[in-house]
Amino acid sequence: MIWIDYTDPTPIYEQIVSKYKNLIVRNVLTPGEKMPSVRSLAMELSINPNTIQKAYAELERQGFIYTVKGRGNFVAENTNLKDMKQAEILEKLEGLLRETEEAGVEISVLTDYINSRHKDI
Amino acid sequence: MISIKGITKKFDDYIAVNQVDIDIREGMVFGLIGTNGAGKSTLLRMMCGVMEPDEGGITVDGMPVYDNPAAKEKIFFIADEPYFFSHGNAVDMEQYYSMVYKSFDKAEYYKLLQQFGLESKRKIATYSKGMKKQLAVILALASRTDYILCDETFDGLDPVMRQAVKSLLAKEMGERGLTPVIASHNLRELEDICDTVGLLHKGGVLLSKDLDEMKCGLQKIQCVFKDGAAYENALSIFDIIKKEHRGSLYTLTVRGGREEIAKKLGQIDTVFCEVLPLSLEEIFISETEVVGYDIKKLILEV
Repeated sequence: MIWIDYTDPTPIYEQIVSKYKNLIVRNVLTPGEKMPSVRSLAMELSINPNTIQKAYAELERQGFIYTVKGRGNFVAENTNLKDMKQAEILEKLEGLLRETEEAGVEISVLTDYINSRHKDI
Repeated sequence: MISIKGITKKFDDYIAVNQVDIDIREGMVFGLIGTNGAGKSTLLRMMCGVMEPDEGGITVDGMPVYDNPAAKEKIFFIADEPYFFSHGNAVDMEQYYSMVYKSFDKAEYYKLLQQFGLESKRKIATYSKGMKKQLAVILALASRTDYILCDETFDGLDPVMRQAVKSLLAKEMGERGLTPVIASHNLRELEDICDTVGLLHKGGVLLSKDLDEMKCGLQKIQCVFKDGAAYENALSIFDIIKKEHRGSLYTLTVRGGREEIAKKLGQIDTVFCEVLPLSLEEIFISETEVVGYDIKKLILEV
């Protein structure tokens, strides 16, 4: 379901975290669905199981999955996920606003663009 | 756990391994990096109990390993040039190894041979170099030992085989807690699979650390400062290990976690800035430059 980009300098476990986050937020993986076991994912991707373990721990810490002892990892209910994603997007927007300001570009250029694209999306 | 304490090995006047202390924990992939002649193979041979150290001791799960079958039984050593009986075939090797290792799994062995497409009745002398390596790996996996020591094993395998072997190691780690120790001079390879990495140079250990700890502790910042004051500010806020610049673009290697660094960057007036992860090679270069070695001359191509 996911694949690792070895040319990307971001650590492998971070790639796993972000790819699964993506799948969960987009509802490709639905709440209550079982995540692949650490062992099977490690075999499938040919990577260290400890790396998968770390990624899962991080996904759990961020609230995307939960662990049932003896049964495995499952996708969490996503009532908060959309909000979290929204917050992430707004944060990126903040960064873009700063760039816009620094570049001397008018904010109205951004708002016009958003309005014109709003109809298409 | 494999516990290596104060290990020294000399060949006449040549000190191959010099006062090495390393602990290899179960369930972790330990990477041993070093250039040719750094002492990796010598260290591995002492770890599996076939070579006696001149000083110090090695224990495997609490048992001293040298010439001790009870301890040696827990380890399989895959030499960089695997040795087979000169007229033997894969079946002969299985018969021998299953005598030596009580935990040898015959069914698994033949299953793997088939998976890898190796003919069991064909003389090993007619195998290609890569096939011989594959056979050595299969013997290791089928022996079901707690530890597998790989001496530059991946270097002789093609990319497809490499993934296959990594996948099998991952399976064994998950299923029965296998602990692989991988010696190599290929940093890129080790970077992806190791939990802990030890750098061996001229027989001594330059550093031995958890890979993620190493990566989390160092960051690379690329930035263009707004003015001289911003630059001075940066010098005072950051713990800078290395500083380079090309024109107005500065590349700083600093100590600290990524979030901490990103926050600090917010306080500096920059026209442009980016926090980038360091590759294992860059980390080693930085860490060893601090110690006083110019590692760039030592690390071979990645």
